[in-house]
Amino acid sequence: MSAFETSQLPPTAQPVAAATPPVRRRPRGSWPAAGLYAGLLALAVVVGFPFYWMLLISVTPESQIYRWPLRFLPSAPTLDNYVQIFTRADLQIERWFANSVLVATAETLLTLIVCSLAAYGFARLEFPGRNTIFYALLFALMVPSQVTLIPSFLLVRWLGWLDSYQGVVLPEIAGVFGVFLLRQFFLSVPRELEEAAIIDGAGRLRIFWKISLPLVRSGLVAVTIIVFLGSWNNLFWPLIVLNRLEMRTLTVGLTVLNGTYGAEQRGIVMAGAAVASVPVLIVYGIFQRQILQSISITGLKG
Amino acid sequence: MATQLPSANPTATAAMPAGTWKNRRWYLGNFLFVVPFLLLFSIFTLGPIFYSIYMSLFDWEILAKSHPFIGLQNYADLMNDSLWWLSLRNTMLFAFLTAAGNSIFALLVALAVNQPVIGRDFFRVLFYAPVVLSVAVMAIILGWILNTQFGVLNYLLIWIGFAPVPWLSSPRLVIPTLSAATVWWTFGFPMLIYLTGLQNIPDVYYEAARIDGAGRRQLFRHITLPLLRPIVFFVATTQLISHFKIFGQPYIMTEGGPGRSSFMVIMYLYQTAWRFYRVGYGAAIAVSLALVILFFTLIQLRFFGGSGDEAE
Repeated sequence: MSAFETSQLPPTAQPVAAATPPVRRRPRGSWPAAGLYAGLLALAVVVGFPFYWMLLISVTPESQIYRWPLRFLPSAPTLDNYVQIFTRADLQIERWFANSVLVATAETLLTLIVCSLAAYGFARLEFPGRNTIFYALLFALMVPSQVTLIPSFLLVRWLGWLDSYQGVVLPEIAGVFGVFLLRQFFLSVPRELEEAAIIDGAGRLRIFWKISLPLVRSGLVAVTIIVFLGSWNNLFWPLIVLNRLEMRTLTVGLTVLNGTYGAEQRGIVMAGAAVASVPVLIVYGIFQRQILQSISITGLKG
Repeated sequence: MATQLPSANPTATAAMPAGTWKNRRWYLGNFLFVVPFLLLFSIFTLGPIFYSIYMSLFDWEILAKSHPFIGLQNYADLMNDSLWWLSLRNTMLFAFLTAAGNSIFALLVALAVNQPVIGRDFFRVLFYAPVVLSVAVMAIILGWILNTQFGVLNYLLIWIGFAPVPWLSSPRLVIPTLSAATVWWTFGFPMLIYLTGLQNIPDVYYEAARIDGAGRRQLFRHITLPLLRPIVFFVATTQLISHFKIFGQPYIMTEGGPGRSSFMVIMYLYQTAWRFYRVGYGAAIAVSLALVILFFTLIQLRFFGGSGDEAE
């Protein structure tokens, strides 16, 4: 991969260095178009090729994967690898997929509820010690999460929650980041709207639910995307909490699958990777505008 | 803020019932909003942080009947533990390489896709796509492409006349390779942050400079780069801190090998606590790693002190 990186740097770097004033001047300016374009296309190939390669190997018969010269187009495409991962008794990929969806959805919903309530509390509602608690939370944000792994695991084990959904989900939902981000959003909502509702006699929960929450929708979308993807891709925590075959999430299942079959049966492993990633990529493709937008607004606030 | 207060206060007190007893109930109602969060946070984050420190002072094994207090012995052992130092060295090397690679590479890409080129939205979407892959998927695909014997990268190298490179099977190359693979996987995120930063630079700066006769290169050197500097620093430090937590890539792609050339701290933690059940020693590893990361976080905050607002 480092060859990719070093070979990719010059093309994209070139436009910066070889900057001759363009004929037409636009607000942000345009670099020498050809060099820039060549660089972008080359990078597009480097970024896109592994996706193609995964799909290609997943439909290649096992006997041909290790045969040189390698083929860059499917020669005798087969769905055999996919049939195998869905039918083998020691692989329950559809169950793992459902587990991942369930865990990620539950984690996202609970995080949204818990964090938006808290964020609203810290942003708008007064109670003694509010600021002290909030700054203490910011301080806790600096402590890396790895410190909590062993005690959280022992706690979950003591509760009898190993190999359970609540064991994977509950320890992950009270993230300071979500509260911090949503608080920023709540602070930018004009107070006048809430005050008008107070005068109308609406209660706190009602104001929160009916007025403030809809106004921070972009913040909620951002938290949804970040938490869902984070949960979907989480490896360490589910790996130590979930042991039973049918309880695994997709990421854990794939990791084990790779460990078991990686050496001899690449086609099966690649088919597994494809099953795990194609749905996510489709969702990403559909919502790319919102996703990129929310990540951009969040990136710096966090 | 100060201008808002006068208008905010009267209505707030209007809604707030008078009298100390009712006041208390009012505050309690407000407090209830943060209670679920604080509860979960205390149980699963705050408590475990302190309990980790506490556990690290004991000779504590999961299956043992008792766990004697041994003071700082775990830390003393850790200081003489060559595996700890090796994994810390590997982790730091990986984190620095990846943070540097990501910060620079993502900046170059962001500058490129910030230009008015045809299909730049497509490029942005494509370049961010690897970020949505899980570490397992990414490690499986790239691990195979980088395979010394059967990998397509070496195939192409041989095809254009080079010798095959033992990307993941050479002790010297394995960490740079994992780092480059991680850049492939994650550079889309800092790219987006840079793009936001670039778009936040007011056009008037460029126009004013252009009226003064500034060329393209000068615009970049004297406007873009200085205004982007706090963001570059922000990206570099947050990247560094987050890549200290590396686990999945070597766990799946190399299992820490060849030998222990890509053995990382979190893998050592995993092995100690979940393979050998030595949770006391594992806690000492976790706390020590946290201190190392905290050190870099404090550096970040110190340098960010004044410029944090610019980044917002």
